[in-house]
Amino acid sequence: MRTFWQDLRYGARMLTKSPGFTLIAVAALALGIGANTVIFSVVNTLLLRPLAFPRSEQLTAILVKDPETGQLYSSYSYLNFQDIHDQNHVFEQVAASYMTTAFLRAGDEPERLRGVYASADLFPLLGVDPLAGRAFSTEEEKPGGGEHVIVLGYDLWQRRFDGDPKIVGRQLTIDDQSWTVLGVMPRGFKFPVGVAQVDFWMPLASSLSEGARAARGAVFLNLVGRLKPGVTLDQAQAEVNAIAGRLEAQYPEANTGLKISLVSAHERLVGKVRPALLVLLAAVAFVLLIACANVANLMLARATVRRKEVAIRTALGASRWRIVRQMLTESLLLSALGGGAGLLLALWGMDLLVAAIPADIPRTGEIGLDKYVLLFTAGVTTLTGIIFGLVPALQASKTDLNETLKDGTRGMSGGMQRNRVRSALVITEIALSLVLLIGAGLLFQSFRRLLEVSPGFEADKVLTADVSVSDKKYPEEEQRAAFYHEALERMKAIPEVQAVGAVYPLPLGGSFIVFTFDIAGRPPFPLGQQPSADRRIISQDYFKAMSIPVLKGRAFNDQDRTSAPPVVIINETFAHRFFPGEDPVGKAIIPGEGKDPVTREIVGVVGDVRHAGLDTERTPEYYVPYEQTDVDRLTVVARTASGNPANVAGALRGVVAAMDKEQPVYNIRPMTQLLDESVARRRFNMMLLGGFALLALLLASIGIYGVISYSVAQRTREIGIRIALGAQLSDVIKLILKQGLALALAGLAAGLLVAYFVTKLMSSLLFGVGATDPVTFASVALILLFVALLACYIPARRAANVDPNVALRYE
Amino acid sequence: MSASAKPIIRLEDVQKVFYTDEVETHALSGIHLEIRDGEYVSIAGPSGCGKSTLLSLLGLLDSPTEGGYWLNGDSVSGLPLSERARIRNREIGFIFQSFNLIGDLTVYENVELPLTYRGMGAAERKQRVVEALERVGMAHRAKHLPSQLSGGQQQRVAVARAVAGQPAILLADEPTGNLDSINGEAVMGLLQELHKGGATICMVTHDQRYARHADREIHLFDGRVVEESAGLSIGGA
Repeated sequence: MRTFWQDLRYGARMLTKSPGFTLIAVAALALGIGANTVIFSVVNTLLLRPLAFPRSEQLTAILVKDPETGQLYSSYSYLNFQDIHDQNHVFEQVAASYMTTAFLRAGDEPERLRGVYASADLFPLLGVDPLAGRAFSTEEEKPGGGEHVIVLGYDLWQRRFDGDPKIVGRQLTIDDQSWTVLGVMPRGFKFPVGVAQVDFWMPLASSLSEGARAARGAVFLNLVGRLKPGVTLDQAQAEVNAIAGRLEAQYPEANTGLKISLVSAHERLVGKVRPALLVLLAAVAFVLLIACANVANLMLARATVRRKEVAIRTALGASRWRIVRQMLTESLLLSALGGGAGLLLALWGMDLLVAAIPADIPRTGEIGLDKYVLLFTAGVTTLTGIIFGLVPALQASKTDLNETLKDGTRGMSGGMQRNRVRSALVITEIALSLVLLIGAGLLFQSFRRLLEVSPGFEADKVLTADVSVSDKKYPEEEQRAAFYHEALERMKAIPEVQAVGAVYPLPLGGSFIVFTFDIAGRPPFPLGQQPSADRRIISQDYFKAMSIPVLKGRAFNDQDRTSAPPVVIINETFAHRFFPGEDPVGKAIIPGEGKDPVTREIVGVVGDVRHAGLDTERTPEYYVPYEQTDVDRLTVVARTASGNPANVAGALRGVVAAMDKEQPVYNIRPMTQLLDESVARRRFNMMLLGGFALLALLLASIGIYGVISYSVAQRTREIGIRIALGAQLSDVIKLILKQGLALALAGLAAGLLVAYFVTKLMSSLLFGVGATDPVTFASVALILLFVALLACYIPARRAANVDPNVALRYE
Repeated sequence: MSASAKPIIRLEDVQKVFYTDEVETHALSGIHLEIRDGEYVSIAGPSGCGKSTLLSLLGLLDSPTEGGYWLNGDSVSGLPLSERARIRNREIGFIFQSFNLIGDLTVYENVELPLTYRGMGAAERKQRVVEALERVGMAHRAKHLPSQLSGGQQQRVAVARAVAGQPAILLADEPTGNLDSINGEAVMGLLQELHKGGATICMVTHDQRYARHADREIHLFDGRVVEESAGLSIGGA
């Protein structure tokens, strides 16, 4: 132990003796360790940390598996929920819920809240008790089970009611109805976990109409279950398979092909972000390895300078292990400094990352330092010290005593042989940088290709605004339709508005309403094989406002009113898939909406719109006029003449306020913002990986610059000889560049090979580009080659300016 | 060497001043020197007298502060770096005290190096290298690295490198300084042979025994030529 402190003191003295070296090494390590700490803190929060519920590993998402695509989604009817709830023996509880929005009226401006309708089992299932009051009971969940009750979220309680301790029992006006506050959930409680804002929970029963309760085809519920102790996911899966089989047999009209799939709630929440996070974790590991290689190179250079010191120590009786230990103590001290600085960088980087992280990534509010992150950083710091310290320590301890103490080779000038280890490190740096750059290049190419994809509409100059019409105040369908009609007519008259339409749900808004359908005049599709299509409710000028082309037939017009024959417009994919080689205009479809399906005549075909995102496949869609369906909420889309569509926001609000100031206008945002948000996750991945790749490139450039500079310094005499023998400036530059080129090419070859295999792991993050895209591979390799040569050029110029007189004066 | 032979090197009133931290050091002053074709000249003098500076000027590794320098009748005092490098490569062969072979290159490659800078074709290069190595008796070690040779052998390779390009003049800077007496004598014998073969040689040495091998001895002191005397050399062509 005494020798350890001795080594530590000596190490500290050596580091303070070379402040430049120490600063550069600590900076490189801090960047590497800091980046690792930041990304690990995200991985720790999202992937490793259990959900914030007691025994959260038992929480299970009960999903439906699409038999065609294999995709999992949450969509159950109330009756199927009841059956799964009652028939299973593997779950302690099963709860159903679905998200909703509501307007809290407490003051002039109604506040739009996001909340959940949930079955009474939800709170016991999650194992969380309210902070104040109580949660709703099974009685309150039953139809007609008493008054309207609500459980508030902690944030809403604080925000709107200043944490009023007497909130329980208070009456709130929500959506024009009176609700009694039953309780307040504790701070940090959120369900569903992946949703950014949840303000309240209401009993599921209070939202369900008789129709919704009775229709097994009306699927809208998310199910979550808590496994009984000792029951595995496989055992539970086997039982729900049996339940699905029974439901299919008993109710084939709604359940043919029903496949229930169980996934742990944690996996369901973070499964989609896992590949990107693992890629990023690998990327920062690469950055750290590159930083290690850089510091190892610096240590090797120092070891050369300190050869004599090591030789003297050895001559005085120090064993090789003793020398290695001393050098390793120094490197660990250096890595500890880097780790400390990295931790500070990480604290700052975490804030930056959380601020930049797309809103749809779950649990970002929980990201921060905890004991696991600190443990990780300490581990990485120690490992780093050993990685970059071991090779130089072993090299230094191998000194040829006789040679070194005699001050060896005279009359000769050596070159690369003595630099093999340093060269190998630089080759590794270049290879790792190339892998990262190729990864970033592929994400960049994907993003570029994504932006080239047309969404099917023109988002520029379009402002969107949600307008809700209360079904309490306007109980009749016709009343609500008339309200929208009047509002749209008035908006049309706003001077800056060129066209105005309305739609529900808005493209890229994240909501979908999908119905199965049959085609009139053809035999009905067999049960379970009915095709489905995405339904959008629109106004007649919607296509004009969004610049969606009408390819055949016509758009909706004034004739398509409530009392007129039902009409529909389909998209191009619908037409191609279900009317190949035919003109669909004049034919009819029968969407399975409601109890009594209506036959709708196709009056037009419009271009496809990528409603779910630019990277999704085009799917069949159909549009119906809002006058011919029940609607209490539409999104207005206004195409404006001005460059900034937000200029008309006030006017849109004014129109609705003038008609009825109690009807809210909210979610006002340009269509371009939605488009932007739809690619935010890909952009974020690209920017982050790109940032790490550039950092790697910078470190690798410094690495190659350092090695070549060092080599030039070592070869000063050789270069002097060459110049004395008549070498021109260009000969010397070529000589040095050739050395750099050899390193770069070796690094590129290794990097290309590694990248060929590694990039295949990120296939799921790519769009429109292959994981081994030759253009990306080649262009990134050329860029790296250019940067490497640039890094060599500076020392090469310096070499060319060697004064042969000075160089030869070494004699 | 005949007295009527044309001068290979002519220096007129050459001065070399070094400036370091506002200190002016006159390394050479008022040097007048002519070395004729086939002549063997030795430059002697105590340490710090300016011998090496003079050799650097002669070898175009440095430029005089004042005065004129003509090589083969052409003024070379104010040439740009690239032209000086070209002339050095073609007209001057260097032999250094510490051999200055490149450790990573074989004996053959070391000798070939100045010829590659000249842009000479491979076949001619090979012929010249082989001839030069045979001339110094080192052809059998062509594939060896310098570290595998003795000091005397390394200096012979350095001589071969100097003569391979058939330069107008050989400049030797203390060629025996790092050798024992046997190897020193052997290298001096080699230079004598080259001189007999018609080579023009200018050698810096502080060893009086070797200085006397030259046709003419020039003595420097404090940067000035203080004495010129005939040596023991039999002379060249």
